[in-house]
Amino acid sequence: MNKDYYIFSHGRLKRKDNTVYFIDGGDNKRSLPIEQVDKLHLFGEIDLNSKLLNFLPRFGVMLNFYNYYGYYSGTYYPREKNVSGFMKVKQAEYYNNHESRLFLAKTFVDSATHHILRNLRRYEEVSKEVIEGIEKERNNIETTDEISKLMGVEGRIRKWYYKSFNEILKNGFKMNKREKRPPNDPVNSLISFGNSLMYTTVLGEIYKTQVDPTISFLHEPSTKRFSLSLDLAEIFKPLIIDSVVFKLINNRMIKKDHFDNEEGICFLNEKGKKKFISEYDKKLKTTIKHRKLKRKVSYQMFIRLECYKLIKHFIEDQTYKSLKAWW
Amino acid sequence: MFVILTYDVGVDRVNKIRKLLKKYLTWTQNSVFEGEITKGKLDKCLSEVEKIVDKNHDSIYIYTIRSTKFISKNILGNEKSFDELFL
Repeated sequence: MNKDYYIFSHGRLKRKDNTVYFIDGGDNKRSLPIEQVDKLHLFGEIDLNSKLLNFLPRFGVMLNFYNYYGYYSGTYYPREKNVSGFMKVKQAEYYNNHESRLFLAKTFVDSATHHILRNLRRYEEVSKEVIEGIEKERNNIETTDEISKLMGVEGRIRKWYYKSFNEILKNGFKMNKREKRPPNDPVNSLISFGNSLMYTTVLGEIYKTQVDPTISFLHEPSTKRFSLSLDLAEIFKPLIIDSVVFKLINNRMIKKDHFDNEEGICFLNEKGKKKFISEYDKKLKTTIKHRKLKRKVSYQMFIRLECYKLIKHFIEDQTYKSLKAWW
Repeated sequence: MFVILTYDVGVDRVNKIRKLLKKYLTWTQNSVFEGEITKGKLDKCLSEVEKIVDKNHDSIYIYTIRSTKFISKNILGNEKSFDELFL
């Protein structure tokens, strides 16, 4: 499987010898084997030229940019190769029909809830009350008839969920409330950073298939963002990001000095980001034996399989059944 | 699979081979490349190599290891650019 590279140093990225070179501020050169690159993530201050930008699409390499605080700011992606007008029309049809849109939105939320409960059940410290509360709320998913009401259900489930974080997290990490804009404590900043990585990973997988990233079902498709990746990320956030967060904190892998605080904004510093990313990368590459495919499948591949299942759903081959971790 | 590739080619072809291999693997030492690669990519790489080399004089050794579980790598002295997640 192709690799992701994360660039934190300041420097210059260029094309040389038909591959990619990174030259850092200290004039150290490194060549990256282009055939083995999946995505490049740029966290540092990096110069690049159009020669490189013309070269990367030939190998389908995406460039993801993140700002100073580690938030996703945008992507340079290859001219779309997997275009299918047929698929796009079908996908839009599903969005336009209230019933079928609601069906997909519900399965996303249901799958997310399944993974939330799966996380909570792993920890004895979590009170029965929380689990029962979420289970009760989960029953409401089926009966809602409006996307906005579904979002409400999802919000209440998340509220229970985040409340129980304090029971799971050890070593002096506490979270009062999920705070996004901007995150104000270490746990919130971990979740935010993780979610923006999740978003780019999902987007990268969507591009490998024919589904259109802008037509979404749970989130309102609007302009300026690829909202289908938000939909799919919903399923994988509790499964991947939250379990990485728990692991990092409870095993004392991440400490208070991995965070910087600037005027109420809490964010991971470079060391912290690297810790998080290497754990995240390991998680994505972890494989599980797939029941139907009868071979080992990585978490990253599971994301792409969701897209394929959506395609099958859109062309009315097989009804979409969202991923529910069985292991 | 994991591949270690070493080459011994005529002086006028050394640079050509090195530049080509850089696209696929990590350059670890003079005339040694290594890295994780799929079967298909390796075949593609080797067919490109074949166009450059002179089969009567040059030799290219390819060691493949199916699972990285069974190799260990120790380094004495300086470790040259090894493949890392972060740059």
